[in-house]
Order: sequence, then structure tokens, then C-alpha cells
Amino acid sequence: MAVRAAEPPVTAVPDAGPRGSVLGELVRFSRRNTLAAIGGLVGVLTIVVALAAPLLAPYDPLKADFRHMNKPPNAQHVLGTDQVGRDTLSRVIYGARTSLFVAFSAVILGTTVGSLWGVACGYLRGRFDLVSQRIMEILQAFPDLILAMAISMAIGTGLQAVIFAIAITRIPFGGRVIRSVALSIREMPYVEAGRASGGSALRIMVFHVLPQCIAPYLVLATTHLGVAIVIEAALGFLGVGVPPPTPTWGNMLADSITALVPPWWLAFFPGLAITLTVLAFNLLGDGIRDTLDPRLSPAFLRMMAGGRRR
Amino acid sequence: MRKYLARRAVYAVVTLLGVSLSIFVILRVLPGDPLVAILGVEGHARMTKEDRVRIMADLGLSAPLPVQYARWLRDIGAGELGKSFFRGDTVAELIAHRGPITAEIAVLALIVSWIVGLPVGILSAFKPNSMPDGVARTLSVLFIAIPGFWLGMLIVLALLFWFGWKSPIIIVHVWQDPWQNLQIVMGPGIVLGLAQGAYIARMSRSCLLEVISEDFVRTARAKGLREGLVVMRHALPNALLPVITISGVLLGFVLGGSVAVETAFGVPGLGRSLVTAVIERDIIVVQNLVLLYAVIFVVVNVLVDLSYAWLDPRIRYS
Repeated sequence: MAVRAAEPPVTAVPDAGPRGSVLGELVRFSRRNTLAAIGGLVGVLTIVVALAAPLLAPYDPLKADFRHMNKPPNAQHVLGTDQVGRDTLSRVIYGARTSLFVAFSAVILGTTVGSLWGVACGYLRGRFDLVSQRIMEILQAFPDLILAMAISMAIGTGLQAVIFAIAITRIPFGGRVIRSVALSIREMPYVEAGRASGGSALRIMVFHVLPQCIAPYLVLATTHLGVAIVIEAALGFLGVGVPPPTPTWGNMLADSITALVPPWWLAFFPGLAITLTVLAFNLLGDGIRDTLDPRLSPAFLRMMAGGRRR
Repeated sequence: MRKYLARRAVYAVVTLLGVSLSIFVILRVLPGDPLVAILGVEGHARMTKEDRVRIMADLGLSAPLPVQYARWLRDIGAGELGKSFFRGDTVAELIAHRGPITAEIAVLALIVSWIVGLPVGILSAFKPNSMPDGVARTLSVLFIAIPGFWLGMLIVLALLFWFGWKSPIIIVHVWQDPWQNLQIVMGPGIVLGLAQGAYIARMSRSCLLEVISEDFVRTARAKGLREGLVVMRHALPNALLPVITISGVLLGFVLGGSVAVETAFGVPGLGRSLVTAVIERDIIVVQNLVLLYAVIFVVVNVLVDLSYAWLDPRIRYS
């Protein structure tokens, strides 16, 4: 379901930087989509924080400190401490690690499998496509969170189980969108030329159809990152996600309500981290979609392909 | 129309059969041994072999898999949904007792989403890129990003801190005490409704803007109609169809989201039972509740499709 935003025509955006260079295209993209650029910046920052967690976190996220239990935010513990004296800031920083790792792995896995499947469906058509469409309909008949819960219950809780469970819920989205792209590409003259010169179906799919699916794939992956982060957090919150004591944003929220009078800082900060990250990726996704959807602008495609001229 | 209806119904039945089969595969076949799913790996290792055989037979899990699947479908047809492994109450009782609470939450969320989302969308589309439009769009982007269960937690905390008020955590149905019942379902309903409302506002804004640029709207304006009439009488009915469709899709978010939001508010709905069952690995309860959620989702979307065909005579399904 494409939610089209009717933006006013962008007029007189001065070209910044030379066309074709990655940096120049990035600057041009940011000028047109300020919000998306801010989203991208926050997203990158979150990733950096997650990667550099051991350098940034002031305390060990797992170390209990019984002299400083349930302390509200203060000079030593900027975001306070939890029921066993673990530093909230450090746990939020390390939580970014787990939450982002799960979300990225799940989205990449799910969208990639879905997209490859979609390419095959769109190109091969026929009975294979028909059966595949039914399977995707079945997968989409479940509410996301409920399907993820059932799968992670069946294959055992743990990091991999959660990743796998979320990935499966992403497959039909990739399949549906990329299938429709492949359907239109297979009618292109150059694909016909490939067929005429004797290329096998596999060869045509890999070398002719697949490259055209990269742009929609990127849009899909970015827009689903936010969803994956929320599903992971919800699983953690419900106690069926990545098992404690590993800090994830969802686990921290689950911990916070076990207290009789939940300390507000334990409930507030992990949720704020989730909201900001999801907001950032959603804005970025919207911007990329607005840029890619209407015209699939060649400049942006070049940027995504690493600045190579084609 | 009748032909379309029949085909849609057949598709729905096929999808639901596939749904039941995949639930069966996920919960009974994937874990290898269903007892592992129920007891966990450690619990399973701790049991004696005789105990395992006895429990498997008790639960009807020792029959061959296809037989088990056929029996499950037969039981559903007969309205027998089996019993909770740990609590002894039947799944049918569970659904009858807690289902209405979750259903009320979903309906309330739907009402809130339309009451909030549609006017906001219309207001936005009236003057695109104006200040109110900017505020509305910022709010909808924000409410799409905020996880409902976190918002729920914060609301519960704030009410507790400042007013010392906590919603009742017992099950009270509308027909018993409407006021108490409303206190229970209000929180989750509003929180879920706001998130859906954000999608509705977005959708109705962009659809309205699209319709407004069409010829018949220009004609309406040209014959001198007031702008309000043009939008409300001419443009809006045409813009509503996609909004109705997205409402059906959003039900999936509401059903899934209610599981987490009910937990955040401590509301004893069906979602809470599902979470408890998943944590306790109560396989019979999980498989039936998951199926119930999927059935509701599929049926509602069929109804949405039908209403779409009924509302828009241009659409010819071949």
C-alpha cells in the first residue's frame, strides 16, 4: 500500500556539489529532504553508539551495585539505576547493540529472502507464482507480533530465535513488492533480448531483473527497520524475546514494571530510545521512498550504487 | 458481484486452512518433540520416560501428526478447543470470558482512530503545507513511531503518581457494570486508536489531495460551490475508499498491538492470556488463540474487500 505524500513541486533547489560524486548527491538529497537527512543522521548516530558501546558506556551494564539501587538520575548515574543498581545509561547504550543487531539481521534476512522469492515469482509466473502468492497470503494473515511470538516459542528463546521469528514476518512484504517490480521488468525489451540470445531463466533473473530491484529493496528494508525494532522491543517487554540479563530496550521496560512503584526513569529512557530510533528510520525511509518512488531518479540510484557511472 | 463474493469466500477458506496448517507445523512439528515445546529443553530432560509417554497420550500428542491435525480441525468444527495444560479451564471458556474485553478494545480503537484521524486528515488537506497541516503531520509521524505499549506504561505510571488512580484489574463486562468496564478498556483503546488514527490521518490527507486535483472537483468549484461543500460532498466520499481498506489492514496492528498494550495496562484480555500461554508454553491454548486472531484478521479483511466492491461501482472484478 503506497501512501503517497502529495508534496509541492520542489522548485529552484540549488545544486550543491558536483553531480555524480557520492558526497554531492548526499548533500542534494539532504537539501530536498531535511527531515529524512536528520533521520539518517540520528540513525547513523545510534548505530555508532551501538558499535562503540564498550567505549561510551560509563559502567558495566550487567554489574549490580547494591549501594546504589533505585537511584533517580544524578551526577554519577546520569539516567539513574535499576532495582539491583545497574546503570540505566549503560544499559540503554548496550541495549542499542542488541536491539539494532536483532532488527538489522531480521530485516536483512527477511527482506532478502522475500525479495529473491519475489523476483522468482514475478519472472517465472505460472504455477510457482500462484502457490507462492497463497503462501505469502497465509503469512500475512497473522498479526506480526503474534506470529513472531509463536515462532520464537517454537524454536526456543534466544537471540537467533528472535531474529528468525521477526525475519519470517518480513518475508511477504518483500515478496509482494519485489514481485510486482519483477513483473514489469520482465516485459522490458532488454530482458526479451536476453531471452532471445539464449540466456537461462536463472541468468536473466540474476543479471537483468535483480539489479533493477535494488532501489525498491533499499526502500523496503529501511521502512521495515522501524517495525522490526518495535516487534523486538514488544517481544522483550512481554518476556518472550532475547532472554535477560542481556540488556535490550524491551527487556529494560519489562524489568521496570516488576517493581511495586515503578521508577519513572526506568520506564521512560528505554522507551524514549526506541521512539527516537524508530522515528529516525521512519523519516529516512519516507525520504528515500519519496525520492525513489516517483521517478526512480538516476542520480540517486547512482549514489546508492556507490557513485559509479553506469 | 455474486461470483466475486463466492470466489473471495473460497480464497478465504483456503487461506484459513493454510493458516491452521502452518500453526500446526510451527507449534507441533518445528520443535521436534511437542513436550520440548511445553516443558522447555531442561524440563523435558528432567522427566522420566514413562511420564513423557503418559503426558503425550493424555494430550493426544502420541498419534501420528496427520491424525492429530485432522482431529484438531474436527474439534474446532465441533467447538471443542481443548484445555489449558496448566490451568484446567477450557480454551472456549477463556475466549468467552476474555474475548469480549479485547473485542471492545479493538472496536474502541477503531472508533477513536476514525474520530481523530479523519478530521485531522481533512484539515490537513484543506490547506496543504500550512501551519496546522505541519502540526498534524508531525504528530502523525510521532504517533506512528511511539510504541503503544510504552505510551500505555507511561500513562499508567502518570495516573498512579499524580492521581493515585489505577484501573481495575478484574474482568468486568459491559453488561455487568458499563462504567467499570469502560475504565478497563479505555486506556488500551485510546492508545491503540491514536496510533491507527495517525495512519488514517496520513492516508485521508494524501487521498483527498489526489482527488481534489481531479476534473470533477474543478467543475464543482467552477459552478461556484463553496470550498467546504466541494471537499465534504464531492471529494471526501471518493477519497474514503482507500481509508476504509487501510482500516482493515490496521486491524492487524490493533490485534498484535493489543497483546502488548493489554499487558502494559494490566488489562485481563485475550492478549494477556496469549502471552501467559506462550510463557508457560501452553501449546493447546497458544495454537487455538493464534488461530482465532488469524481468523478474525482474515474475515475482517474479506469484509473490507466486499465493502470496497459494494461502495465503488467502478471497480469491476473479472
